[in-house]
Amino acid sequence: MDRRTFLKIMGTGVASATAGNLLAPGRSEAGERLDGKEFYGILVDTTRCIGCRLCEKACAEVNGLPVPDISESANQTVLESVRHTTDKQYTVTNKYETTKGTVFVPKRCMHCNHPGCVSSCPVNAMKKRPTGHVTWDSNCIGCRLCMVSCPFDIPKFEYDKAIPNIQKCNLCWDRFNQGVLPACVEVCPTQALMAGTRRQILDEGKRRISGAPDRYIDHIFGEYEAGGTSHIYLSEVPFDQIGFRKDMGTKPYPEYSAGYLRAVPVIATLTPLLMLGIGVAVRMGREKQIEKHEEKQDAKGKH
Amino acid sequence: MSKKILFVLISVIYIILIASGLTLVYSVGNPEPARQVLTAEDNKISIARTEIFGKLQRPQVIFDHKKHEEAYKQEGCVTCHPMNENKEIVFTFPKKIEGEGATAVMKAFHDECIECHKKEKKGPVTCNNCHIKDLANVEVDIPRAAFDFADHNKHVKIMSKFGKDDCGQCHHTFDLQEQKLIKRHGSEESCASCHDLDRKKGPQLAAITKVAAEKGLSTRRVSHQGCLNCHVEYQQKYRQMNKEDVHEIHQEKMGCNDCHVSGFKQAVSCSECHVPTECSKCHTGKYRTVAELKNTPRPHRGQNDIAFIDIENSSMKGVPFNHRAHQANTGSCRLCHHETLQACKECHSLTGKPEGNGINIANAYHRVQSEQSCAGCHNKITSEKECAGCHYYISGMDVETMNPKKNTCAVCHSGRKDQSSMPKPLSTPAVREEIEINVLARDYKAAKFPHRDIIDNLVMISNSSRLATYFHRDIQTLCRGCHHQSNSAAEMRIPQCRNCHMVADDRMNLNRTKLLSAYHRQCLGCHEKMEMTQARKCLECHEASAGGAAEIVQFRNESVVKQNTTTMLNVWRPK
Amino acid sequence: MAGEKLETVAVEHKPEEKPQINSLGEFWNFFKDELKPRGNTSTAFNVLSGVAIAAGLIIILIRFFAGLGYPVTNLNQSFPWGLWMGFFVMCGVAFAGGGYVLAFIVYILGLKKYRPVLRVALLNALIAYILCSAVIIIAFGRSWNLPNVFIGNEFGAASVMFVVGWLFLLYLLTSALKFSPAFAEWIGNMKLRKTVGSLFLGAVAFGITLSILHQAGLGALMSMAKGKIHPFWYTELLPVMFFLSSIFAGLSMVIFIGTISRKVFSSQLDDEHRLPDDDIVLGLARICGGVIFAYFALSIIISRFEGDFALLNSAMGYWWLLEMIGFVAVPGLMFIHGAQKKNPVTVRAAAVIALAGIVLNRYNTVFLAYNWNLPFAEKYYPSFMEGIVTLAIISIHIWIFRWIVNRMPVLRKSPQWAVKLDKEQ
Repeated sequence: MDRRTFLKIMGTGVASATAGNLLAPGRSEAGERLDGKEFYGILVDTTRCIGCRLCEKACAEVNGLPVPDISESANQTVLESVRHTTDKQYTVTNKYETTKGTVFVPKRCMHCNHPGCVSSCPVNAMKKRPTGHVTWDSNCIGCRLCMVSCPFDIPKFEYDKAIPNIQKCNLCWDRFNQGVLPACVEVCPTQALMAGTRRQILDEGKRRISGAPDRYIDHIFGEYEAGGTSHIYLSEVPFDQIGFRKDMGTKPYPEYSAGYLRAVPVIATLTPLLMLGIGVAVRMGREKQIEKHEEKQDAKGKH
Repeated sequence: MSKKILFVLISVIYIILIASGLTLVYSVGNPEPARQVLTAEDNKISIARTEIFGKLQRPQVIFDHKKHEEAYKQEGCVTCHPMNENKEIVFTFPKKIEGEGATAVMKAFHDECIECHKKEKKGPVTCNNCHIKDLANVEVDIPRAAFDFADHNKHVKIMSKFGKDDCGQCHHTFDLQEQKLIKRHGSEESCASCHDLDRKKGPQLAAITKVAAEKGLSTRRVSHQGCLNCHVEYQQKYRQMNKEDVHEIHQEKMGCNDCHVSGFKQAVSCSECHVPTECSKCHTGKYRTVAELKNTPRPHRGQNDIAFIDIENSSMKGVPFNHRAHQANTGSCRLCHHETLQACKECHSLTGKPEGNGINIANAYHRVQSEQSCAGCHNKITSEKECAGCHYYISGMDVETMNPKKNTCAVCHSGRKDQSSMPKPLSTPAVREEIEINVLARDYKAAKFPHRDIIDNLVMISNSSRLATYFHRDIQTLCRGCHHQSNSAAEMRIPQCRNCHMVADDRMNLNRTKLLSAYHRQCLGCHEKMEMTQARKCLECHEASAGGAAEIVQFRNESVVKQNTTTMLNVWRPK
Repeated sequence: MAGEKLETVAVEHKPEEKPQINSLGEFWNFFKDELKPRGNTSTAFNVLSGVAIAAGLIIILIRFFAGLGYPVTNLNQSFPWGLWMGFFVMCGVAFAGGGYVLAFIVYILGLKKYRPVLRVALLNALIAYILCSAVIIIAFGRSWNLPNVFIGNEFGAASVMFVVGWLFLLYLLTSALKFSPAFAEWIGNMKLRKTVGSLFLGAVAFGITLSILHQAGLGALMSMAKGKIHPFWYTELLPVMFFLSSIFAGLSMVIFIGTISRKVFSSQLDDEHRLPDDDIVLGLARICGGVIFAYFALSIIISRFEGDFALLNSAMGYWWLLEMIGFVAVPGLMFIHGAQKKNPVTVRAAAVIALAGIVLNRYNTVFLAYNWNLPFAEKYYPSFMEGIVTLAIISIHIWIFRWIVNRMPVLRKSPQWAVKLDKEQ
């Protein structure tokens, strides 16, 4: 091998190492406190929710979505089955029959501290704002990897549109920037939804649990699940009875792909060297074999 | 085989495997069919013994007990069930298990069942005819049999009619010194005191329960053994009675068809009304309520009508406890006398001792979370729907309550040996009849609130309960249900909700809800806890706004709205 | 040898055509000429695939107006990825792995006996990646924003998709570079041939690096779907599994294409390429067998049933066993058996089954064992239109492959002047 080829390979290796380090995870991860601002969130107290669905109506009104019918008769039929959020409904309220009676649970984007969707977006269309809001932006390429990566299956894709968006709750990001509460929080008649900084609402949740230990189970869902979320839930019954997964774990979801991402620069740097090494070794071995063979021939030839 | 045929064959096999695999994969997650549940009426028993066998390798066996019972009516229960040394039938199966462990149990079942089926030439002998796959998910749900005061009273009457009026017919205790059963009149307890093996007992009873556990004498076993032996004995006696005597006894009180249900050649078994031996006759699933048992005489055990509870060296005045009134309000003595029928202070001392599991006497009477303590039981009653409207939101009285007020404790701790007279019933004070709440009219018009009617209702509920009347000595106790932070000593008049609860969210004090939710949680919370059928929906309290569905909130999410209303190429509609 | 003037006459299969393209204008005329089809245009295959391509193109047009939902695809909110992503991105890229594996074998390990199949593999990889890019444009919802992945200031650098996208693009360029010697020989441009020839080794090393990373990256794409993919298929070592399977997937595809090309393109094969075919197949079988063995062992070791046979005794358990035994173990054994007994027929059959196994495994990861416990009404199965488009793209692949093989020196050796250029390097 000559100098030129060697330099080409080294150059490739250095380039890939640099690129790899730029790609290293952790740079785009949102920590608990970014730029000195705190995360905001919503405390959802399922013992207070009465299933009136005013949150669904308010959410639809402020986001330009079709407003659902929340009259008594409509609620009777709608609440009979457990619904998911859709591309036209950022939040839904579901009814569960549990060991302690009927429980209503509003479901929406959890605005995780370390969102899988944000980490998996190749163009940073899903952003975790410094204030905790996880929002979608229109530089999205529609790859739907965020849908694959969300453990709560929240992002919804507009399959029926030629120019499709990803739709999900954005904690009323625009309203927040005008200093106003999220729409659902503002209309909730029983204050089952309470907004504040994540620290405030965690404190409030813990205070409620310790103040009435027979009325809440001693766990706040979202305090640590999936690395912690900004929508946190209180409940009177175990969370798997009201539609939450028990096997979520506390590892933030971006960590699952971090192993691969950290290996990329290492492999990118080492593989060309490895190829070089193997190639040289093989060639040297083969040349030696040819030499030996020729020596044998010479020896034979002489006799 | 030629290569072509081999290729085709292998491809076909693979395709079949994939097709069946895909069918399986796409049927995962589909809801399971509903489980069949057998009740006591079916008289079938599920033989699974998962405590011995763990996870079953073959489906459970659903055993038709009724069929076997009828087949062996003449031979009796001893055909299958063993007898003990006292010539009592022990209602366990199999009769004899040789060896230990799951295999021995299985072998015993197989030996006794299959051998008999082979001998009689009737009944299943192969594996799949007993371990039926379709019945693997069947659930046999036999409710607990109740033996309440009415049943006890009936037995006392019947047995004294037969000249057996000492309690020793059924009640016994175990003498640890002599290691045998003895009868000690005056200290009869409930069967469960010694034979309830699931409940942890204090040191006094634990030794006895240990003996019972070693012999496998659970409540289930001894109740079948104790009750059924006597019933079976008398059933046979009744069967041997003279027809004329039977007719003479019954003719006056009953009609012919009551016994001769299907023709005069046969009559129903005596155990239809007397000495029942069929499962469903005792395991009815119906339990008499406290109200139904109110007039049933309670067993005599030397209790006083009024017990003056006065603890030595305690700093509180004594409590005149109306035992007579309380025993008429429970379905079982064990509700309070959770261990034995002794007085509380025998096991619970001032500082706590091992007999009382370390719980001192103050906590024994006042612990709100307990079911046996005074405060705990009263707290439980306040969770009933007539009371829960207010009491769900009021924390229970507890000996650790901060700032105990003199008049709270004095309600019980009067220090007088006789029962102080019951306080006067409440009456509605002069309050406003209707109140209009219009501070928050937005989507809905003002709510008109029938203030006086509500107080009338609460007064009526309070006056109809002795417990409530005893504790609600002052109408202020009812007002505080809604005006919950009201302190009449400092106020000129009762404050309105809006005095403390702001219209907007209180960001500083997340604890104090905004006015909208203060109203809704207070009102709706009470209505929900009281299980009211009216006044639960929005329009029942306030009419909708005249302008129709107004926009709930201002300040839209502008960027989102733009995204959602841009003209899209929306050719195909979803199905 | 220095100083000697080289003959510029290309030793072609058709000696009457001797192109020496030196300008773009000349190329355009030459290209237009070459576009004319050779051979019978109305064979059964042409008719059927032509219909499929036409239908596919129409459906693709519909998709751009009607969106990605019903009736074009059966995708729904619980199943964002379906047949297109599952086949072309997950499987197609794996099938194209033959390119880098063979490049490694021929140029790094120096096993010259596999050289005859190298260009086929490189060509297949190139076409596969180009068509995969086309599918990505169709399957992604907002493809006009795709340049945002490569240019701009909003890079989602912590995203596996971002890494895979960049690696994919770079590998596409590298693949084109690795195939361009054949192109240069076809147009007879010596200068181009010299340039790309000198870059070839660097491209090989770069290509292998990129391939290892993005084959593993396909597995890493699903790494955050933990809990949604059935434990038998989800593992934190998914990237490793996908990388290993890409090795034998690529080689199986090479064997499969070789089997078909022997019959269909026999007119293009020269002795150098035809005769050692069986020998090559047996050699590749040994490699495939070894890698499948490692893949199988790793699958069993990391499978999550942990001795709880009740988990195996379920619908998904049986499905996993079918995939593992019928589509991984069996072809593995067939590969090894065929290599031992020197039976190329067994090996070719094993290649087909192994390819089916790859498809099965990747379909499972994307939509069969993904959200597996939803009721049937909410589940995804490919729609008819998705199937047509898939067939159309495969047909286009075959058409392009056929066009190039019939013209460029892929199944025959390079012209003398090119061989001499290589020797000088």
